[in-house]
Amino acid sequence: MISRRSILRAGTGLAAATTLGAPTILHAQASTLKITTWGGKWGDIMKATVLPAFEKEFKCTVSADQAFPYVPKLQASSKNDPLYDVLQTNSNEQWNCFTEGLVMDKVSVKDVPNVADVYPYAVSDKIVGVTIFTSAIGLGYRTDKGITPPKSWKDLADPKLAGARGSYLIPVNSLGQCHLMMLGKVYGKGLQDLDAAYKALELLKPIKLVDFTGQMEKMLLSAEVNEGVIHDSGVYRYEGDNRQPVDFCSPTEGVVALEQVLSVTPGSKVKQLAYAYMDYMLRPDVQKLLAEAVWYSPANKKVKLAEKYDTKLLTTPEKVATLIQPDWKWYNARKEDIDGRVTKILKS
Amino acid sequence: MSSAAIKLDQVTKTFDGKVIAVDGVTLDIEAGEFFSLLGPSGCGKTTSLRMIAGFEQPDSGRVHVGGQDITDVPVHKRDMGMVFQSYALFPHRTVAENVAFGLRMRDVPKPEIARRVASALAQVALTGLEARKPGQLSGGQQQRVALARALVIEPRVLLCDEPLGALDRKLRQQMQFELKELQRRLGVTLVFVTHDQEEALAMSDRIAVMNQGKVEQIGSPTEIYEKPRTRFVADFIGEINLLDDGPKPRALRPEKIRLGPAAEARLAGTIETANFVGGATLYRVRAADNRAFLVRETHAGERAPRAAGDAVGLSWNDTDTVSLEG
Amino acid sequence: MSTTPARLSPNRVPFDAGRAAYIGLNLVLLAFLLLPIAIVLVFAFNPMPYISFPPVGISLRWFDKFFSSSDFMNALWLSLWVAGCVLVLAVLIGGACALALARGNLPGRSFLTAFFMSPLMLPAILTGLALFQSYLLVGIGRPVWGLIMAHTLVAVPYVLRTTLAVLHNFDRRIEEAAAVLGASPTRVFFEVTLPLIRPGVFAGGVFAFIVSFDQFPVSLFLVVPKGETLPVVLFNYMKFDLDGAIAAASMVSILLAIAVVLVLERLIGLKAYVKL
Repeated sequence: MISRRSILRAGTGLAAATTLGAPTILHAQASTLKITTWGGKWGDIMKATVLPAFEKEFKCTVSADQAFPYVPKLQASSKNDPLYDVLQTNSNEQWNCFTEGLVMDKVSVKDVPNVADVYPYAVSDKIVGVTIFTSAIGLGYRTDKGITPPKSWKDLADPKLAGARGSYLIPVNSLGQCHLMMLGKVYGKGLQDLDAAYKALELLKPIKLVDFTGQMEKMLLSAEVNEGVIHDSGVYRYEGDNRQPVDFCSPTEGVVALEQVLSVTPGSKVKQLAYAYMDYMLRPDVQKLLAEAVWYSPANKKVKLAEKYDTKLLTTPEKVATLIQPDWKWYNARKEDIDGRVTKILKS
Repeated sequence: MSSAAIKLDQVTKTFDGKVIAVDGVTLDIEAGEFFSLLGPSGCGKTTSLRMIAGFEQPDSGRVHVGGQDITDVPVHKRDMGMVFQSYALFPHRTVAENVAFGLRMRDVPKPEIARRVASALAQVALTGLEARKPGQLSGGQQQRVALARALVIEPRVLLCDEPLGALDRKLRQQMQFELKELQRRLGVTLVFVTHDQEEALAMSDRIAVMNQGKVEQIGSPTEIYEKPRTRFVADFIGEINLLDDGPKPRALRPEKIRLGPAAEARLAGTIETANFVGGATLYRVRAADNRAFLVRETHAGERAPRAAGDAVGLSWNDTDTVSLEG
Repeated sequence: MSTTPARLSPNRVPFDAGRAAYIGLNLVLLAFLLLPIAIVLVFAFNPMPYISFPPVGISLRWFDKFFSSSDFMNALWLSLWVAGCVLVLAVLIGGACALALARGNLPGRSFLTAFFMSPLMLPAILTGLALFQSYLLVGIGRPVWGLIMAHTLVAVPYVLRTTLAVLHNFDRRIEEAAAVLGASPTRVFFEVTLPLIRPGVFAGGVFAFIVSFDQFPVSLFLVVPKGETLPVVLFNYMKFDLDGAIAAASMVSILLAIAVVLVLERLIGLKAYVKL
């Protein structure tokens, strides 16, 4: 069968052939850095503060794409003239891109000096490129519905939560995929014990499944679910004036890392600028600004957050040690089989 | 209103390179004449008319109007009026706007347009309906609007393509009188296409009977009726008895046959059917030699003097028979 | 007076099961169509940042957020601008194509018709992706006119369809009547043909506007940073903030679409029958 991807590849090959002949034109655009970045509050701060300051300092313009889907767009563009210089995605998508040769693997301290200051998880062998922030995937729960605050991942299987627990459609959401691997670890021999994970999935039925991460937030807020798999920032952001009766639990078995990762495309014509941007994003002041805006844990060890963030986010070597990083390369290679199995399990 | 003579000179028109619609037709239509093109559907009468109007270009031959060769003049410069069977009124315009259209195209000043539209509508007795849309009118009224629209530009020639075909019988007869009267009053050359021989006979000064793209006969209604030249014309116009017993076929109109006692007649026969047609009865008589004859007998009174099964004799004068060309 | 009841009785409509079922089915269909809009409405005016029922109050905070966000406003104006251009282009191209197909005696007419309709057969996401790759391939990048052309491509079939339908029932004798009355081919077109096919062209144009204004799959790959249309912005907004601003935006775009249709109807639609 001819997959969509192979068609894309054929197309990009053609594109490569035509663009090779015009290097001078490409140099004319050298002062533009093309990146992807998140929307929402993150995007607001990037556009209002972070990116303008970068443009000023490095005398360039940044074209920041906030419109999904980044990876297909990158796939469809020429490898020699990629649509992005720096790709920001979660870790699993970085692995997909790396496997297809769309992004480069590691960054060196020479290119990106601030990499010297990051926690080991940010450049571990589970990471393509460099992690700039991470969230912790654990359990969010209502504090006003009389449920016992969870301590373990197993607490989600509490029969009292039948129909009021939530997770994600595993084929389309990486938090759901993390949850599945975590079930393997908690109920079986480890993250890759899929048989144990499938069995454990049965225990969670009936369960409400969503495709967007943001939907889980809303389901918790509207008490459509009383307990569900979610990243810490999706719960912590409801504080102060925005306070809602929800809280986050980091289960004793550990939390799964949901990394925001930057990588550089091999065809980028502005690699130095791309590395400068990575370095910039790892600067303590930029890290602090964004971390406190969206409740992400900064990857740079030297960042000192304000007290209320510091107590909750992963800002010490001890807390960082509870982070579990899935092997996305391993997972992505089995994704189709897994999708088929879980769909069957959750359908019946 | 001025009128113009029309001449078709050896005009031929073929469709899709094979179907010959009009085959070497030559017509001389006099100025001010009411001229009908009569024939069955597909005989080429409408195509001939459309070539006069300019909707179709002849493959060969020329079209002259008022002495000028207009074969290559486009439709909108031919200065003709035309009335269609479907009326072809502009549905999005009022009656007055429909009638004014041709004048507007001629850049006639507005006050004059108003005056002429009013008088054209008065001519067809539609005064008061100026503001209506065609959809709000009856079929007869729509036909009058079409007529007023065609005549208001004072055309040299008025072309009518089965204009009364969509009307019911009674209205049609009334419109026949009105159209004929209007044409006489205005003196316009009128070319009238119809497949209805009664209509053609009733209205025309002259008729061209067409068949398979060719003109079979041109003549006054009386000539066409009394002296059909071909078997086709004889057969197409009214009822006819064809006599094939001589060297050439002959035609004999039913009213020329007299019924009487069998002993004194040319032929003896038996009445098969008797149809009362008002003031006359049309009999179908089976002769002794097994030929069937149509006989029309006028009589006073409502009842036919003869009935089916009666034995009768048939007689006629040889001078009443017409030799046909074939 | 005494005859009145007797006279009334034949007028009384007896219970008709078929008719009741018909009305019932229509009500169900209406509810099916309108209920989601009602939910959007509740969501839009509810001050809570999630869908809660019953609503806790009425607030305009989401409308405020929508109208004060430069991202939303830029996207809204871009979408309206693009949809306006698409309307004009689709009407011109689709109308001309329809006339050529219906009148032009072109060889391979049914093939050409199918060809022009083909953007409707193709999944729109593929159209968008294919155009994205083509644009990159020829090196024009992703300019706004490229987006407009892409939308026009998928909008033209709607104009083509509706115009062809009108032309199919068009009595050509009406045009001949105009010609014989002295109208040149150009005048015949503007005086007769255009006014008569206008309802069809216009209906197609309204479709074209809405197809463009609501277009998501084709736009997905063709928008550029800072040049995103409203549906794309809404989709991406939803991934991070699923709050009432989405519902407010939906209400605004529904109302805008209705307003545009009504204005066009006033300007072009009704006038076609009222004027001349």
